[in-house]
Amino acid sequence: MAKINNVGLNLGQKIANPFKTSRNSTTNPFKYSNFEGNTLQFEYADVFEGSKHSTNNKLKMITSSVAGSMTKLRSSITEPIINFVNRIKEGMSSAWDYAKNTNVSDLAGVKAINKVMNADILDIGKGIGNSISGMGKGIASKMAFLNTDVTDIGKGLSEKWNSLISKVHTNKITKDTTVDELKAMWEAEIAASASKEVA
Amino acid sequence: MNRNVAEIIDALAAHQDHASIEVLEELGTNSPDNEVREYTSRALVRKNVHDSLKIVIINQGKGINDLSPAVAMSTINEILALKDKSEVIKILDDTINMHSDEAVKENARSVKSLLALS
Repeated sequence: MAKINNVGLNLGQKIANPFKTSRNSTTNPFKYSNFEGNTLQFEYADVFEGSKHSTNNKLKMITSSVAGSMTKLRSSITEPIINFVNRIKEGMSSAWDYAKNTNVSDLAGVKAINKVMNADILDIGKGIGNSISGMGKGIASKMAFLNTDVTDIGKGLSEKWNSLISKVHTNKITKDTTVDELKAMWEAEIAASASKEVA
Repeated sequence: MNRNVAEIIDALAAHQDHASIEVLEELGTNSPDNEVREYTSRALVRKNVHDSLKIVIINQGKGINDLSPAVAMSTINEILALKDKSEVIKILDDTINMHSDEAVKENARSVKSLLALS
């Protein structure tokens, strides 16, 4: 009966918490992660924790995981990769030889700079002068164009102004306006309307 | 119609000078524009003097004898609206009795009938 009770107790405990594991509760999501088989070995590495341990422990976590991965990688390096590294090494050494044996003044960019630096100042001045005179010509032609436009605008304004003035004068018809003047105005209106119809 | 022309016609209508009637007849009643003819005919009627009324009553193609019904009716309306119709009736009677053109006589008769009814 005591055995049965013990079994019952054990069962009861298991049923009460069927998902309980032996792992300690932690907020570190990487604690049980496996970086290619390299388990993180530090206790307080937790990116979600406060700033208390985070800086040091984060660095620690990253370095340890990278180091572990590198160790693993080194053990699994295959032949073609070694060849590839060797080729790069050769390339680097030939570049180094080129840099060591080549005069700095012979480099393409340095040559161009030297050419400019050693050129006669007068030649440069001539070039700049030509450019400025060309700019001047362009500006002068633009200004001439502007002047033409302004003249045209002036003409248009003058015509509008004259027509406005003539209208004002025409509208100044009073009882004192003589019959002859009225006749002249009417004839002018007839002529204007006739010219409009022709146009 | 041009606003300036309307103002000129009004100014000529206000003039008592006989020359204004001549200008209205020469430039207004001979205008190809119906509106100008209509406005001029009404101005001549409003003058209500013998010379101006004679133009719109006895001349063929002008005033009440205009080929445009709008011009003719507008002139007749203006005649009917006159306060003093004595001069109009006198000219209409003379036209009915003495004018050579039968169409002008007929129109004068019609206007006189309208005046009697109004």
